[in-house]
Amino acid sequence: MAGGIGLRLRHRRRVLFLILIVLFLSISFRFYSIQILDYASYSKKAANNSVRKIIKTAPRGIIYDRNLIPIVDNRPTYGLSLIPIDVTEEFNYHLFEKITNLLEVEIKSKINYAKKKFSRFKPFPLKRHVSFEERSRIEENKLEFPGVHFSEFPARTYPNEAKLTHVLGYLRTVTDDVLNNADSKLNYQYGDVFGFNGLEHIYEKNLRGDDGVEFRLVDIYGIDHGKYLTDREYEIIMGEPLVLSIDSKLQRKAEALLADKMGSVICMNPQNGQVYAFVSSPDYDLKSFIGPIPQKLWDKWNKNSEKPLMNRGIQGTYPPGSILKLISVAYALDEKIIDENWSVPCNGAYKYGDRTFHCWNKNGHGHVDLTQSIKYSCNIYYYHLIQKIGFENWSKIVSEFGFGKRSGIDIPGEKKGIVPTRKYMNDKYTSRGWGKGSLLNFVIGQGDLLVTPQQVIQIMNLIATSGKSFEPHIKLDLQSEPLQVSLKNSTWEFLKDATFAVVNDNDGTGKNANSKWGVVHGKTGTAQNPHGEDHSWFSGYIELPNKKMMSLAIIVENGGKGSLAGANTARELFDEFATLNK
Amino acid sequence: MNWLLTKIFSRNPTTAVNYRIILPIILLCFISLLLLKSTSAESSLIISTFSRQLLWLVLGIFIFIGSQFLRIQFFNEYAYHFYIFLIIAIMGTYFMPIKGGSQRWLIIGPLSIQPSEIGKVLMVFVLAKFLSDQRENFSHLRIILITILLAVFPALLVFNQPDLGTAIIYLAITYPMLYWAGVRPYYLFTVVAPVISILAAFDIIAFYLWMLIIIVLLVYSQPKLLEGVTLFILNISCGLLTPYIWDHILYAHQRYRILTFLDPLRDPQGAGYQIIQSMTAIGSGGFWGKGLGQGTQTHLRYLPVRDTDFIISVSGEELGLFSILIIISSYSFFIFWMLVYAEKIRNNFSSLVMIGFVSILFVHLLVNMGMTVGLFPVTGLPAPFISYGGSFLLTCILMIGLINNITNNEI
Repeated sequence: MAGGIGLRLRHRRRVLFLILIVLFLSISFRFYSIQILDYASYSKKAANNSVRKIIKTAPRGIIYDRNLIPIVDNRPTYGLSLIPIDVTEEFNYHLFEKITNLLEVEIKSKINYAKKKFSRFKPFPLKRHVSFEERSRIEENKLEFPGVHFSEFPARTYPNEAKLTHVLGYLRTVTDDVLNNADSKLNYQYGDVFGFNGLEHIYEKNLRGDDGVEFRLVDIYGIDHGKYLTDREYEIIMGEPLVLSIDSKLQRKAEALLADKMGSVICMNPQNGQVYAFVSSPDYDLKSFIGPIPQKLWDKWNKNSEKPLMNRGIQGTYPPGSILKLISVAYALDEKIIDENWSVPCNGAYKYGDRTFHCWNKNGHGHVDLTQSIKYSCNIYYYHLIQKIGFENWSKIVSEFGFGKRSGIDIPGEKKGIVPTRKYMNDKYTSRGWGKGSLLNFVIGQGDLLVTPQQVIQIMNLIATSGKSFEPHIKLDLQSEPLQVSLKNSTWEFLKDATFAVVNDNDGTGKNANSKWGVVHGKTGTAQNPHGEDHSWFSGYIELPNKKMMSLAIIVENGGKGSLAGANTARELFDEFATLNK
Repeated sequence: MNWLLTKIFSRNPTTAVNYRIILPIILLCFISLLLLKSTSAESSLIISTFSRQLLWLVLGIFIFIGSQFLRIQFFNEYAYHFYIFLIIAIMGTYFMPIKGGSQRWLIIGPLSIQPSEIGKVLMVFVLAKFLSDQRENFSHLRIILITILLAVFPALLVFNQPDLGTAIIYLAITYPMLYWAGVRPYYLFTVVAPVISILAAFDIIAFYLWMLIIIVLLVYSQPKLLEGVTLFILNISCGLLTPYIWDHILYAHQRYRILTFLDPLRDPQGAGYQIIQSMTAIGSGGFWGKGLGQGTQTHLRYLPVRDTDFIISVSGEELGLFSILIIISSYSFFIFWMLVYAEKIRNNFSSLVMIGFVSILFVHLLVNMGMTVGLFPVTGLPAPFISYGGSFLLTCILMIGLINNITNNEI
């Protein structure tokens, strides 16, 4: 064999072993650097490969009425996705289009986009809010639609017969604006919904739950291999329940009474501000807001002259009519401008300057004293009275009763209405000027004076509680601010007697409102409407033998005199309240 | 017939088991079974790779025992016959149908045989025979050239199948065996230098450094003047020609293929994809691994060909750097003793056979492990005793059997 084999072999063995050790050490170092030095980055890479983050949408809090009967609940709705890699030639676009209204071209372009931008293995959302029926039809024909994938997430449902439309409000999908500006604690994600108005908006922070996060193991084909356990996982936390002061049975009754009419009804407890019923009619269908609302429907509601989207209880502004007279009475008595016996002759008309003002009763009421002026709702009496009170004093006392400012109720969009002051009139009628005669209109609740039903009811709340009422609220456990007007006890007593007479005397304008179940006080009103039939007001309260109280304010647009439409509706609601609270 | 049997089988064989060789191999086979048990978990095969490998191992025990009775000198005497037989067999595969993109198999009825696999063993016999037959004072360059030619011919045939991995093995065993046979390293260097010159030519600094190394080595080795100058000019021209060939003769797609072969990570969507997944698997294993059956890369199928080419990645992911060090240590221990025995054996042929076998096993392992961590291109060379695969496992066991036979009978 080759030269020097025996002698040099030991040397060659050592060289070969050295080479081997060097190579093995280099490769070991390579493994060391990957497995130890770069461990973190490769771990993350492996996790990104196989672990898919799934966000589970938390259901919003359930909304209950005061007796814990659910008014707003959740039900599952379905999201339709396609897994691009699985969509084959056999996909029946024609049938798919029939069921979902999604065009073939549209689907194909979306899939191509998804293939480019996302993983071919990940479900790509096609349509949110697929109904159960649509889903069933797709599932029935599943073989025709390879790659179809459904996800489930909660949507609102309204199980109660009481609709409470304007109070509850609806949800909309978050916009970029909301995403950027919202409180980061709310943690909005693309595609989330949020309370756009009503209670859903006001109590968004309570109602919105915390979405759950789950990690799933997914193989290279996108097939799920079960949960991936990690401490970054979060359970779904459902939104807090919201208990309302609303009595859904009374609410239902009120809605029924106002159906086919335009107007508003508010029922509440004057002693603590809890709202029992709140209706604005006509309303709209909250169910239409589950999923994207069709533009046509939205336009229809917006253009409708009956304004179904408007919440008349806090956004409808009307002249209050005669109900407002009570405030002038309260002021005049309290300040001793007049006493109960001060009387005025009414012959149906009153000349002031160059204008003639009329009483609603063209024949006149004859000699009218204070109590009668309220009972018969005589206008002439107040034309005289306001001249004794004066504009400033009138504006001041009307404001004290809560007009011209928000009542503080916990639903959004409340209007302030208008209480005219000297400054307001000067600003409004600069060039033309305004006559002192306007004041005669204001005192009987007409003219520039504009109020919401939510403000009107506060007159009754204050009378019922002798000036110690509360701001209204709909969330049951909300401690609301006091609403107080300090007048002499005798003044409150007089107002109680007068409003009692309106309903209980045979010739009172509000006698239709009388209920046999309790003691009813009230006052009618008629808001003059230059565009058609006058609006009919009634506001009053009932005290049951068990001392339970409910006040209400009703306006029926184009309902004519308050003594008719308003008072009749009031009686039915008083009866219902009495039945429910025996 | 009797004559043939006495040629093949030893008259009085010693059949002891050399535990210094066998124990590390048993450990490696055990690790292999553990890993295959894990990857078989979600296998769709009726008989899992684990059960099959177990079956092959049982068969391997018989081969091991059988190989104890062989007469080693038989392979010395008939080495060139084997060589011709091998060439014909490999050429025969060219007439066989294409299977999995290549023609590596001789298909006879239900049997398919891969001649290039057993060819690895036969090539060791051929080279050992040629080198042990040389007299003293031979011409070093002539021996090198003939040895390389002997290897290149079947290597080209195998490369054409195509089976790059096996072709590399045929060539890779030549150098250690030449060195063991006593060829001066200087001559080994002169043959391989032009190849390195070509590679170094891609980087100007590397090329200058390389030229400097050549000059130093030439001065140190003190060859004849003409020899030294020729060698130097040859290397320089190889280096200078490379950029020209690269830019003007090769097409863009050829350049791209060469580049992605040498550096698969250039093409993360294609050639590099498997390697990236493999490195991710290994890297995420850490020191102790994720635990058997817990590897996400392995079990969620992000790791390609995990039973064979990338079984080391499974080990890295599920059993961690710990298992990699055990595998490397086992091999080091095994090879250390192999080299010790090779030195002790008085018979030159057997000694060279030992070195050839060690080279085969070592190169397989190195190239396979290097591939899983992105150091080497994907060549399809399995990890001996660890990767799943019957014919390769049996070939390896046959080598171990012959080694055991040699250490028992010739020291």
